[in-house]
Formats: sequence, C-alpha cells, structure tokens
Amino acid sequence: MSIISAKNLSKTFQVKTKEQGLKGSLKAMVSPQYKEIQAVKNISLEVARGEVLAFIGPNGAGKSTTIKMLTGILHPTAGEINVLGLNPTTDRRKLSYKIGTVFGQKSQLWFHLPPLDSFNLLGRIYEMEEEEIKKRISYLTELFEIEDLLETPVRKLSLGQRIRCEIAASLLHKPEIIFLDEPTIGLDVVVKQKIRDLIKTLSQESQTTIFLTSHDAGDIEQLCRRAIIINHGQIVLNESVKNLKYNYMNQKVIDIKYAESVTIDHPELKVLKSKGYAVKIEIDSSKCDIDNTISDLMKLGKVVDITISDPPLEEIISGIYQEKDIGGGYLEKA
Amino acid sequence: MLTEAKKNLKLIGMYFKFNLAASMEYRASFLTQTFGMVLNNSTFIFFWWILFNNVKEIGGYGFKEVMIIWGIASTSYGLTFVLFGNIRRISQMIINGELDSYLLQPKDVLINIISSSTVISAWGDIFYGLILFIGVYGFDLIGLGLFIFFCFTGMIFFASVMICANTLTFYMGDSRGITGLIFEFMITFSIYPEGIHNSYTKLIIYTLLPSAFISLVPVRLMTDFSWNWFLLLMGALVGWSVFTYWLFMKGLQKYESGNLIVSKL
Repeated sequence: MSIISAKNLSKTFQVKTKEQGLKGSLKAMVSPQYKEIQAVKNISLEVARGEVLAFIGPNGAGKSTTIKMLTGILHPTAGEINVLGLNPTTDRRKLSYKIGTVFGQKSQLWFHLPPLDSFNLLGRIYEMEEEEIKKRISYLTELFEIEDLLETPVRKLSLGQRIRCEIAASLLHKPEIIFLDEPTIGLDVVVKQKIRDLIKTLSQESQTTIFLTSHDAGDIEQLCRRAIIINHGQIVLNESVKNLKYNYMNQKVIDIKYAESVTIDHPELKVLKSKGYAVKIEIDSSKCDIDNTISDLMKLGKVVDITISDPPLEEIISGIYQEKDIGGGYLEKA
Repeated sequence: MLTEAKKNLKLIGMYFKFNLAASMEYRASFLTQTFGMVLNNSTFIFFWWILFNNVKEIGGYGFKEVMIIWGIASTSYGLTFVLFGNIRRISQMIINGELDSYLLQPKDVLINIISSSTVISAWGDIFYGLILFIGVYGFDLIGLGLFIFFCFTGMIFFASVMICANTLTFYMGDSRGITGLIFEFMITFSIYPEGIHNSYTKLIIYTLLPSAFISLVPVRLMTDFSWNWFLLLMGALVGWSVFTYWLFMKGLQKYESGNLIVSKL
C-alpha cells in the first residue's frame, strides 16, 4: 500500500529577468520581464510503507522542490499529492505530526543553545507529554550516540555531530515518514558511514519510510532498494537499485597482480592503470566473455592476486545522466 | 477558535521562556543591552524637559502627557520585539527561504515565526517605558493596569503594521527598504503630540499607518475616557490583526523557498 502518492505533479516558478548593466536594470524597473521556469514537470510516483527510496538527480533537477511539495512547504502549480491520506497543501499542520524532515543545509536546532533545549522545545511544539519527551530523548540519545553533545551549544558542534542531532530532532515525534534532503552533504567518509548506519537501523527497527535525496552514490547503494532518477523536473528512471546496477553496469574492473612483468595487448581490454606488476583493467561484459578474458589474463604470467569488482554507482549514475542527455538541471533553485 | 487562541498563547509563552534562556547565555550582553537602551532613551527626557521649561504646552500636551505617550510607545515597542523578535527578519527570511522549518511544524506558521526569536535590547525599552510612566503618573493600580493594557494593544498595532510591511516581500520581491521607512514613521508619529499634525497627517496616522492607536488614543482615553474612542481602538485592533493575518497567509502561497545554508539564531 502506498503512503506517498503524487500524480502529474508540476511546479512553475516565475523569475524576473534583466539585461546586463545599469541600462538593463533601468529597463527592468520600467517594464519588468519574467520568465517561467518549470522546476517539476508532471511527476508521478508512489512510495510504499517501510520503503527506503532514493530520489536522485543533478543540481537543480527538481529534487528539493518535489520534497517541499510533498511536505507542504511549497504549493504545487498542478497535480495531486497524497501523503498518509492527507493533502500536504491543505492539511500541512496535520501532516507535520506524521512526518519528519532533515534538510542538510537548513538547521532546525537553535544555533546558540544546546541540542537538549531544542529537543525539549520541539517536543512541546509537537504537543508531546513531558514524560514522553524525556523517554524519546533518552532513546534517541542512545541510538545516535549523542549523550556528550546534548549540553553543548550547537554552534560548537562539528558538522557531523550537528547532523546527528538534526536527524534525532526530526525523529522526536515518531514520524511515519522521514524526508532526508542530502543529509550527508559536506561530511567526511567516517561520519557519512555513521549516518548511513543510523538510517539503516532506523529503517529496520521502526519500519520508518525513508525518502532520501542525495548526490552521494554510496548513500543510495547502501541504504536504498529503489531509486528514482529525476532531471529537468522529470523522472528519467524508476527502478530497483539492484536492477540499476545490473542494467547499467556492464563495465567490470579487474585488478590483477602478477609475480612478473607482463604486457597486456588485448583489443577488448582497457588498461586503466599499471604500476609495477599490478594492472587495473576495465572490461565491457556485454562485448566480451569474462570467462575467456580471465583465462587469457591468467596465461600471461603467474598471478599473485586477482579481484573483479563493479564500478562505483556514482559512475553508473553519471553514465545514465549522459545517456539520457542530462547535463545540469534547469535552475539551482529550491 | 478559542482552543486555537489558547494554543497560540501557549506557544508564545513557551518561546518567551525559551528565548529568555537563550538571552541569558550571554548574560553580560543581556545586561549591557538592556541598561544601555534605558540610558539611551533617557536622554530624550532632558530634551523635552528643557523644551517644556520654555513653553507651557505643545499641540495640546503638557510634559506629563508627552512622557506618557513616550512611556506607552516605548513599552509597546519593547513588548513587540521581546515577544515577537523575528518580526524584523521576516522579509529576509522570505528572501532566503528560511520559512521551511516553520512550515514543517504543527503550529500556526505566523505566530511560530514571529515568536521564535527575541531582541535583547527591547527589554530596555519595556523597563524605560514602565519607569517613565510610574515616574510621571505616580503609582496607581488602575493607572498602571490601563498602561499595561494599552501597551499590549500598542504592541498588536505595531506588530501588525511591521508584519504587513515585511509581508510585502511575498508580493514585491524585497520590502526591506519600505519596512525601514514604515518603522521610522510608526515610531516618530507615536511619540509626538497629536496637535502638531495637520489633518492629512492625522488621516494617515488613523488609517494607513495607525501610529495614533499605539499611544495617542490611549493617552486620550487615560486623561478623558470615552467609550466611543475605546470601541474605535478595539475595532481598529481587530481589523488590523485580521487583515495582517490574511495578507501573510495569502502571501505565503507565493513562497518559493530556497537552498541557502541557514541556522536558527
């Protein structure tokens, strides 16, 4: 059963345009010109309860605009939305009790106060009982390992610590759906992994539906079962992450280490890197047989080590962008 | 409707306590800003005192009346920014797309936005007005009760006009310039005797920019109470509040959000 459903969703922004220089500014003052930018065009999607969905696309593709319409922040120009049986545009307040949102770039914690104060205030904003707030804070503190951070003003927290507190804050009122808009933006590898583990736990333990936008292929690969790729405000691909990798991952990377010096001269193989006796080769499995190629490579010399791996999802997505004629989005907006 | 009003009052109270705690984070700054503002405002008493040593009355007001309008205006202004400190930032918040986190919470969005921050120095304005009033009027419970009542009505007028001015950003892109002008206008025309204005100015201060209702009408009521003036004041109060709310909600539909990196201060 789907708990998020959008039909033919569109959002158009009016943007004032002006010619360059002072003359252009004067002209724009006398007769302002506007151009319409369609940030989201006829998007239709369904998300089932408990699903972890990746909503991906380049900058300005319309990801955030879509999330903002699904959460009631923006009013759609056209189309229908139903989130947990409610219309976000008209039932924004009712819906807010049931959803949680984290915008990586926007903080909901008070900058000068410790997270504990913000948690308590947010708990009261969501009309939770004192006892319930306490219990929830203690549960989330343990889950997110933020005990030491609770009494430190947010301004003194590192970005990774802050994001952990942000996600905890958005979960305070036990939302059924959580929208994560680029939660790992700007984080280092270790912290990114920690956040991913937390999201994974969250989805497994409480069956929370997760709607995730990210630029980071690792987020999608590790967390999501289905991915929707959007560009120029339109859905270009909607399929399982497994299929995405299978269908768009004909390239394999072979790392092979010989015990002696070898020369690789094979028309179907592309040598990516060669250092000492180690060689990194790319092979297109749709054009040549992996079995035969490996045998050929083994015959070249004594093999010490060999690994066959998939290229990172990042490259696959970038391949899809190119294939689907995707450069950049319409506008670095919303 | 009554439950909604109760919920909103509770929210304002909650933020008040929360913001006070936040202000106390910087205790030295809180104290210097508060007392600095009291000192700063006090200089104007000398100006009027010297003036009234040379003339008996100005525009029908004596020294006492002028001090009372100063008292009401100052405390009204102080209350506005202590309780609704975010009013001064609405335009900028609309431009920067900072309303998102408020729209995601289950509270009235306008009350939630304006109450969520405070202006520390405005405490100085509250104390200054109160001290000034008691100083010239004497300590009288009914007088003080009326003073506090009119400071709250003044606060609603001042807040409404400032919200409307800021809300124009939804409609014209950036209203910070005009908001600054309206702010100056509202202050200026609420601290000078009514009698010095010509009829056109009076028309404006009773209609378009209702600064007369902040302090001039209350002084009239405190010196010579009339039900007609009182009902006019209350009618204007309801009218401005309803209009402000409607204008903001209508404008909110035009909100475009944004992707600027922002923190809640």
